[in-house]
Amino acid sequence: MARLVLMFNKQVVKEYPLMKESITIGRNEENTIQISNLAVSGYHARIDVAGNDYILTDLQSTNGTFINDKRIVSQKLSHGDNIIVGKHVILFVGAGAEVAEGKSAGLKTDLDKTMMLDTAKQKELLSKQKDGTQAADATTKIGVISFIEGANVGEVELKKKLTKIGKADTSEIQLSGLFMPATAATISRRPSGYVITTMGGKIKVNGEVIKDSVALKDFDTIEVGKVKFQFYQRETSEKQG
Amino acid sequence: MNPVGLWIGVNLQVKSSGITDVGLKRDGNEDSFSIEDSLGIYIVADGMGGHLAGEIASKISVEIINKVFRKWVEKDVSEEDIFGEPDSSLSRKGNYILGGIRLANRVIYELALEKKEYHGMGTTIVVLLVSPSLVIAANVGDSRIYLIRDGEIERLSKDHSIVAEQVEMGMMTEEDAENSPLRHVLTRNLGSSEEVTPDIFEIEPADNDCFILCSDGLTDLVNDQELLDMTKKESDPDALCKNLINVVLRRGAHDNATIISVLLTGIERPKSGIFKKVGFLIEDIIIRLQKSFKKIIQ
Repeated sequence: MARLVLMFNKQVVKEYPLMKESITIGRNEENTIQISNLAVSGYHARIDVAGNDYILTDLQSTNGTFINDKRIVSQKLSHGDNIIVGKHVILFVGAGAEVAEGKSAGLKTDLDKTMMLDTAKQKELLSKQKDGTQAADATTKIGVISFIEGANVGEVELKKKLTKIGKADTSEIQLSGLFMPATAATISRRPSGYVITTMGGKIKVNGEVIKDSVALKDFDTIEVGKVKFQFYQRETSEKQG
Repeated sequence: MNPVGLWIGVNLQVKSSGITDVGLKRDGNEDSFSIEDSLGIYIVADGMGGHLAGEIASKISVEIINKVFRKWVEKDVSEEDIFGEPDSSLSRKGNYILGGIRLANRVIYELALEKKEYHGMGTTIVVLLVSPSLVIAANVGDSRIYLIRDGEIERLSKDHSIVAEQVEMGMMTEEDAENSPLRHVLTRNLGSSEEVTPDIFEIEPADNDCFILCSDGLTDLVNDQELLDMTKKESDPDALCKNLINVVLRRGAHDNATIISVLLTGIERPKSGIFKKVGFLIEDIIIRLQKSFKKIIQ
């Protein structure tokens, strides 16, 4: 059975099975797929059954109905199509995919084929529609080190993907000291979070000397020679890549 | 002399190997990969789009990134003069990779617009750069880069798929994600929009670091723990690639699978020398003396 997967901000809201009858999409409660959003017209679009195919038709909606990146009047749906209605995306999952679902991995199925969700178009549409509700602009976190002892620097944001700590001029965080190596340690921002790695300096995290690398948690205390600082993360409006 | 040599024993030796297999269910291979040991750059791309379009998208991306990276490195081009706004959180070479990926995206995007037979083509990309002082990992889509270090496995790439983003937001478990019908729906790729934002990470290399770059033809069938176990058993890149492909084929190989393995040796961090230990000891004593001295004057 073919299905429609209603998504908002890339999150699945609800799934609808497609029976052998027409359905409508719109803001009005009488619609099969009801979307309470001002960007959606009362009766926005309709999906009709034609043999084994499904045809999507725009019901002269104010903001239009899109399949992937194209505004449509009426078009046959293909497996993996993104139907864009206002700020919502409805993914069309064809019947062929459904049949294969649940069988063991290793079978060739349409679902094994990689598809692209057209978020670019979605974003473009979102920027054009100003009806009050803002798209969730996720704030990202940035690591900060806050000096406690041995250096009078205050706080430093870890703006680099790889921050070098040491005596060398090229260090992002330059520290002095008789036994301070050119690079004592590095802090790298990784998919899993921030990680501190010793590069020859004696580094303590929460009082313990680290052997190689340690993942940093909020409010960990780090000692590099006589310099002591704390690590934490704070929200930033700046976009982190 | 490389200034890096002051603190790292620079005798970096890189051993690499790559393999691609069409698998048992697909007619053509849409994956592409490249190994450039002289530059230390390794790329895997998994193309998508009908007929030959996916194959072309992945192939072009790999070629463009290699070509511009080589050119920019040779001419030591400033970050300002590469393609697009530089990212100040990255090193210069990190910016070269960023620029290369952006350029490849733009070319595929334009080609897909221009020619009807290329409409809808796209590709994922993973790029690994190794050097004595820096390792850079970049990706768009759901191909991956793994680092196996000190008996642990870590992803140096972020999947750009609906399910991965839901896992990150805590709305779905890893297990649910693996079984979701939406698991192959990407939120980013090269070719579908004018601009693309890759995820790029920079880390310091360590001795015996083993990297695995791969398309989802591998990771659909072999999980992270299995990758770790197999790498522990056999870290030689040639043998590891062959072993992994054999597992993929035994398990049905429903998709094209591509694997590159890179092993770094010859990196020595000065961490256990006698002089160092004495140094640490003296350092400790001095720090303690300074602290108690401060207390006395307070």
